[in-house]
Amino acid sequence: MDYLRKIWQARYFWTHLALSDLRTRWRRSFLGALWSLIQPLAMTALLTLVFARIFKTDMLRYAPYIFSGMITWDFVAATVSSGSLAFVQADAYIKQTRHPLAIYTLRTALTNLCVFAFASVGLVIWVLSAMPGNFGWSWLSALLIYPLLLTTGWTIATCLAFFATRFRDIPHALGLLLQALWFVSPVYFEADVFHKAGLAALVDYNPIYHLLQIVRAPLLSGQWPTLTNLLFALAVPAVFGLLAWGLGRALERRVIFYL
Amino acid sequence: MSAAIHLAGANLHYAAVAYVERSLKALLASAVRRAPRPAVRDVHALRDVTLEIGPGERVGLMGRNGAGKTTLLRAIAGLYPLSSGSLEVSGAVRGLFELALGFEPDATGRENILYRGLLLGLTPAQARAIEPDVVAFADLGEFIDYPLRTYSAGMLVRLAFAITTSVGGEVLLIDEVIGAGDAAFMAKARKRIDDVIARAEILVLSSHDFASLQRLCIRGIVLHHGRVVYDGAIDSAIDEYRRLNGLV
Repeated sequence: MDYLRKIWQARYFWTHLALSDLRTRWRRSFLGALWSLIQPLAMTALLTLVFARIFKTDMLRYAPYIFSGMITWDFVAATVSSGSLAFVQADAYIKQTRHPLAIYTLRTALTNLCVFAFASVGLVIWVLSAMPGNFGWSWLSALLIYPLLLTTGWTIATCLAFFATRFRDIPHALGLLLQALWFVSPVYFEADVFHKAGLAALVDYNPIYHLLQIVRAPLLSGQWPTLTNLLFALAVPAVFGLLAWGLGRALERRVIFYL
Repeated sequence: MSAAIHLAGANLHYAAVAYVERSLKALLASAVRRAPRPAVRDVHALRDVTLEIGPGERVGLMGRNGAGKTTLLRAIAGLYPLSSGSLEVSGAVRGLFELALGFEPDATGRENILYRGLLLGLTPAQARAIEPDVVAFADLGEFIDYPLRTYSAGMLVRLAFAITTSVGGEVLLIDEVIGAGDAAFMAKARKRIDDVIARAEILVLSSHDFASLQRLCIRGIVLHHGRVVYDGAIDSAIDEYRRLNGLV
């Protein structure tokens, strides 16, 4: 608890870091923040053209499905892979002041959450104009995605950062692992595709699927996410949160030697 | 609350694994390697250091490169964990270790006052409150509204020193950097440090520059291979340091 209090006390510092990351990302580009929207949109257009043919589905319905998967997955992949190097990147700060280390992974998660939030507004506008029938109270539940993503990304990144500071191979291995995870999850492919192929377990026990359902159920089908969805989505940050806490107790003070 | 630093029998080792076996490859390779590699032992950076520094003291830290000056300052700041012994520090610690840290090169000096203030734990309102004081002390003229990339090393020192001493805190730790300031700045810095000491606070300054040590400090500590080999008045500490390193 004391640790969380210290993180809270340093809040002005890490929000400043996150904001300055965003400024750097968008500085000197004409379209600036809009790139966070254009990039996934263009990619979605491309994938929809191909996948809708392959799976013979309705393009207009399938495109927002891909888009929602893409922006969520982008958040997870970006937070986990750059978050694993958060301590290394912040070595200058770590060697100068004594803030809780978790603020540096929080900074990464927060930066990416802003990018995600920006892109998600695009998704909402799109769905509102393409499928206005889905709008309803259930949309409130989609708001849960923000705290869920933030805690998921933050806790996983913190665990990885402790290892990646010592073993600099982690970021490389992570790229591979993320690609594998993406491949076996219904990020772009519809859940039905997995069910029909007899791979139902890849959907039913896959936290990524359940996390995506928090957004997809309300926005794309006008339904509330199920309790199972929510429990799976909560279990991930809970498990990694505990792990990060344990790792932090053992390793937090020693990280500075490996920078 | 009055500031104080107590170190008793403090030892500090740098973990040698940090310098070898950085990658999994190296770890696996060492498992199959037959001929033993030259062993890299943990670096014993501080050896059995016992120190008492009380309120209002200004201490100069001397020693050759690698004698443990920076390590000692960072240990006092709570950045490095001790391997044995005890450390108690009462009072908020402010460190000035490396200059460019917490500065954003593309932002102006004025903006960087805010950023570094936040790094040191201020709220935005507090950081804005110290701004006039910092601007006046750093005395950078129009440069305060220029991006930091355009600053010389001496200007950076002035800005960093002004911010760190404005933030408040009871224990001020300064590593080497102060030497980059010019004579006029040194005179101001001395006055500033007098103010700091007048509030019953502590200054620990590490430097190779005897002149600034003599001007700013009263007590001198000489480190040699991680041990305290002399602790006394600054002038005799400088003599001892000279004798130790054959400079006389």
